Amino acid sequence: MTDPAAPPNDAPAPGREVQSSPPGALQPEPAAPGTVTEYPVGFTGTAGEYFRLWIVNIALTFVTLGLYLPWARVRNRQYFYGHTWVDGQNFEYRANPAALLRGYLIVAALFVAYAVSSNFDSTQWVAAALAVMYAAAYPLLVRQSMRFQAVNTVHRGLRFRFHGTVGGAYVAYLLANFVAGISFGLALPWAWSMQRRYQGEGLAYGSARAAFRGDVGPFYLIGLTALGLTIAGGVLIGVPLIALAASLLGNFDLGDIDPTNLASSTPFLAVALTGYIAVLVLYVVAWQYVRGATMAYVLNNMELSGVIRTRATFSPWRLVWISVTNSAARVLTLGLATPWAAVRQNRYVLGGLTVRAIAPLDDFAAGVGGETSAFGEAATELLDIQVGF
Amino acid sequence: MTRDAGQTVLQGVYFDGRSSRDQAATLRVDAQTATLELADGSVPVQRWPAHLLGVEAPVPGVRRAVTLPGGGRFETRDDAGVSAWERATGRNRALSGVRALESRWWAALAALGVSLAALALFVVYGIPAVARQAAFATPRSVLATFDRETINLLQKGEYFGPSRLSAARQARLKAEFRQVAAWAGGGYPYRLLLRDGEPGGPNGLGAKGLGTNAFALPGGTVVMTDQLVALAKSDRELMGVLAHETGHVTSRHGLAGVYQALGLTLVTTVITGDIVSAGTFAAAVPAALLSGGYSRAAETQADQVSGHYMLGTYGTTKPLQTILARLAKDDSDESGGSSKKSGPSIFDLLSTHPGTPDRIAYLKRMEAEGKPAPTR
Repeated sequence: MTDPAAPPNDAPAPGREVQSSPPGALQPEPAAPGTVTEYPVGFTGTAGEYFRLWIVNIALTFVTLGLYLPWARVRNRQYFYGHTWVDGQNFEYRANPAALLRGYLIVAALFVAYAVSSNFDSTQWVAAALAVMYAAAYPLLVRQSMRFQAVNTVHRGLRFRFHGTVGGAYVAYLLANFVAGISFGLALPWAWSMQRRYQGEGLAYGSARAAFRGDVGPFYLIGLTALGLTIAGGVLIGVPLIALAASLLGNFDLGDIDPTNLASSTPFLAVALTGYIAVLVLYVVAWQYVRGATMAYVLNNMELSGVIRTRATFSPWRLVWISVTNSAARVLTLGLATPWAAVRQNRYVLGGLTVRAIAPLDDFAAGVGGETSAFGEAATELLDIQVGF
Repeated sequence: MTRDAGQTVLQGVYFDGRSSRDQAATLRVDAQTATLELADGSVPVQRWPAHLLGVEAPVPGVRRAVTLPGGGRFETRDDAGVSAWERATGRNRALSGVRALESRWWAALAALGVSLAALALFVVYGIPAVARQAAFATPRSVLATFDRETINLLQKGEYFGPSRLSAARQARLKAEFRQVAAWAGGGYPYRLLLRDGEPGGPNGLGAKGLGTNAFALPGGTVVMTDQLVALAKSDRELMGVLAHETGHVTSRHGLAGVYQALGLTLVTTVITGDIVSAGTFAAAVPAALLSGGYSRAAETQADQVSGHYMLGTYGTTKPLQTILARLAKDDSDESGGSSKKSGPSIFDLLSTHPGTPDRIAYLKRMEAEGKPAPTR
């Protein structure tokens, strides 16, 4: 019947304080330069509510022999998006689970083909071909996944978009990772910065393009901090443990040192276990620091169409603490604390996030950009590719 | 929600899909028509056939969204109103049901029970069944490769050395084994390898040797140590053991075990995967421990094969019973004595310690029943 015929931005919304933007203007204009309005980001999800959603969806996935998995994934994400609010409006996740299911099935079939063919001499070439294909297509998959996630994120009735190019993806994810590899990790922070830049610059909300104003230097600072942390932690943990192990060894005859005996001695096992756990904790700490600090830096340097910036006030170190205690809680509860941990982390991150705007948030226009296949998303999710946004 | 004369009236926010502007609006839906009216009247009332409207699946605590023709969206906190409309028009039946489950604690508890039960069923029945199928589907050429690689590994690791038995004794045992192999059939290239299970002597570096042992590899290679030969009082006992090993070969237990361990590792990785990526290493440990529990059924199956052979050839299962008992006694003597002796090795396919009395009882039962020749 009648389509809503009124042009956008026909009239300002009632009951909202709106800085006078001229009717019909598609691009927001700073009406009063310097007037910054801050909108805190809020998260209203609760651990109990999410636990029920989580466990019910897990059970359904089991009962349907995994076919329900895409619905479960989408519902989990819908819960988090739907409970994230900016200026009185929430985010929405609109992925089509049926499309995801097709992607999952294709990826699973390829993975099984790889796993089976890699076992037999006569079919090893199939596995090798699949591995090469995967490596070559990896940047494409990342790009596909970014497009899928963006276009399925809706806020205020507008979809996000991702405009990153294929060439850009190959530079950021193939070339940069390759250079990082051959430079023994020296170029790793540079690769991180390339990847964040690719993601940031490609993003758009409606027709408004996002920009990443960051530099490569801080990524090196983050990398060096993590490296220093790992070395210092390794020395702090390693030296006493090695000393302890050596003193234990001293109690044996020298001729007696053989792996079978050593492995069966309880004190030695205890030392090895302590060392193992310490290494895991150190790994979590260093990696979570990199993640948290990178996220904070990126969010502090993103801007949308010159009128909106985000500001992160959460502390990467506090985030590390939350991650470590979350991991401990999950291990101790055999995974049952996972929903609580996820809600806790989200609440902290989003609670420390502010949207700062010099134009009203209700003045953005829709953008164009085709739908995208769910294959990249399915691949990155199932194969555990860290898109890390 | 207001409902009069079959009409649902929803208060909410309208987005036209072309801008990010939120506008307070009222959506009225009845059986045929939906009308949208903006609070400020800036846009004329819009009217569509009700079936063109879409309702997004409900998620607990999240605002409900209605998609409108032309890309617009209407969002409302009036969950009860939208749910009533959904029920009346039969929309989102399945996912509304899921939402109903997600809102109840008893359902969450039941889901927890179902999940644990499903996981347990999968680990106890699913993985072994799949592993068995995979083991039988594996081509012969792969089995031969597996045998070759494993023997190389054991040789290099000095788990065994060349046999110290006389050439005549070795030839005699191999000839006897050929009869067992011919009986076992299945078209496997059976061969018997005699090896010294304590290459460094009983107390030296040989602590990691195989000791008194016999085991079968998937391709038909059967390894028996000098120590086991020495333990036996007659060749019949040894042939009972070797027939048992051919049972493992024809039932492809070794390969199934490998696949089971793989499957368990996979499951553990999926469960713990998100916690720490490095967890794969940790995951391998419980998987290896658990897979030990599978071999009991396999042992019984192999005992049955051996029992059939012995009943058919000697008319009794006694020799296998006696050597099993002697093996168990030997082991308990050793573990009671010096702790230096190698503990249970991963290759102990034959002597799965706690089950020995049961296994002997089973063989006795077989003899008493005088089961007919195997149909394999």
